[in-house]
Amino acid sequence: MHVKASVFLIFCGMLFAVSAQAEDKPVCLIAGWENPASVCVAHTKTIAATCYICHGPNGKSSGAIPALAGQDKAYLVTAMKDFKAGKRETTVMKKYAMGYTDSEYEALGEFFASIK
Amino acid sequence: MTMQRRDFLKFAGASLAGALASASAHAKPSSGRPHIVIVGAGFGGATCAKYIRMWDPTIKVTLIESNAQYFSCPMTNWVLGGLRTMEETVQSYKNLPGYGINMVHDTVIGVDTDKRSVTTKDGKKIAYDRLVLAPGIEFMTDLIEGYAEGEAAGKVLHAWKQGPTLATSQATLLKKQLEAMPDGGVFVIASPPPPGRCVSGPYERACMVAHYFKQHKPKSKIIMLDGHFDVVSKGPMFKKAWKKYYAGMIDHRPYNLVTKVDHKSMIVTSEFEDVKADVINIVPKQRAGAICKLAGVRADSAGVWCPVNGITYESPKVPFVHVLGDSVASNMPKSAHVSNNQAKICAAALVEMYNDREPNSYPIIGSTSYSATSDHTSGPIAVVMRYDPDKEAYIRQPGGGASEDSDEINFEYNKTWFDHIWADTFA
Repeated sequence: MHVKASVFLIFCGMLFAVSAQAEDKPVCLIAGWENPASVCVAHTKTIAATCYICHGPNGKSSGAIPALAGQDKAYLVTAMKDFKAGKRETTVMKKYAMGYTDSEYEALGEFFASIK
Repeated sequence: MTMQRRDFLKFAGASLAGALASASAHAKPSSGRPHIVIVGAGFGGATCAKYIRMWDPTIKVTLIESNAQYFSCPMTNWVLGGLRTMEETVQSYKNLPGYGINMVHDTVIGVDTDKRSVTTKDGKKIAYDRLVLAPGIEFMTDLIEGYAEGEAAGKVLHAWKQGPTLATSQATLLKKQLEAMPDGGVFVIASPPPPGRCVSGPYERACMVAHYFKQHKPKSKIIMLDGHFDVVSKGPMFKKAWKKYYAGMIDHRPYNLVTKVDHKSMIVTSEFEDVKADVINIVPKQRAGAICKLAGVRADSAGVWCPVNGITYESPKVPFVHVLGDSVASNMPKSAHVSNNQAKICAAALVEMYNDREPNSYPIIGSTSYSATSDHTSGPIAVVMRYDPDKEAYIRQPGGGASEDSDEINFEYNKTWFDHIWADTFA
């Protein structure tokens, strides 16, 4: 009973968050799924750390693969959208762009823009 | 209805995480902060140690590694091709203590998963709150008759795992044998069916050895005895490169699993034929590293690989033991990139749980691997896999796959990829 009630409460809370767009919403979305805000913080830093493997630790490149650190957010988001749409020539980035969501492009753009 | 179902699943995931977090709370040592012991300092283990410390410097991390230096497998094919030296494939561990990692050079010989401690060859007993195993692969040499004798005689090499010293590393020995081989000789490379470490590696190796032969021994031949049904990774790219750069030099024979080798007569026997060789390179079938057996986590149906929870990388079989990298039973490629990426997901989950926060139930693995086809061309494969807690599996996202061609720009990216993954893991 306790579990059911909790599920119901969370479900209601989620509907409220979605419909009311509360300012202090305790949730964030990953691929359309609701999460506590801390989960999205961890998610963003972890997917950003995936980028480090090719683009260099903290997005700071020492070679041919472009740096991400300190790039303009809008530039990074547009680049990902263009890769996905096939508007921009890529080697691996179209394959990556297709695996991530628009909100993840935004989160990554913000993350790398903040690294100086 | 969809939302409701998803939310229920979400809640179920959170409960599990909550249970894990409260279980780990009981495991806290008297100092108040957890001690995580990681065994194996490769792309999985070293990355996990470094990122736990970067994301929460209050967590105590001990990293146990047998070797004094890291011997990379990526780039050893380039050594065979004469593009790089063996020295350039070795990475120092000198930077890791700077992150507050307690680096121990020793070998774990026992694991007590009830009392949660490991014992080492030097007689140390190290207690853990969580144990992370990242040992890489172990070869099932007993599946090939004569392999062990041939390896002991120095006539049969895998060169699929390097170290423990530069002089004894099998890529060093293989390079010497190729250099000593007369022009017109036959190099046999045999590879097992998947799953195994670096599926595209044997085909890159054929390219690199062919590149070396073309410069120095143009009458020589390469026979690939492939346990796969085809060139299963980057197939079109490799086939084009073989035709373009090494016409008539590489004889690829699929469905040709090796069962026997006789190092005295230098005959390699597959399920279909006997092949006479001058230099023999056989990559045997593999399983999770030996310590996974000690810890009881080699728990898939065949007792070969280690199933894990895709959120935390904890073994569902043995609580408080996590597994990373090539030893994991999964549909992910067994690559350096995946090991490094899994390590970060595991590190993030542990950091969240030890700070009483829910771990992320939707991690994403990206896998990129480059293969060189010549001394100036490479090509990539890239795939994104998202964890679905409903299916309890990583799902391949559409659009992933290999390039059909290798080229100069990807050769440059390949070199940068090496530099960056090493820096991300060890610097």
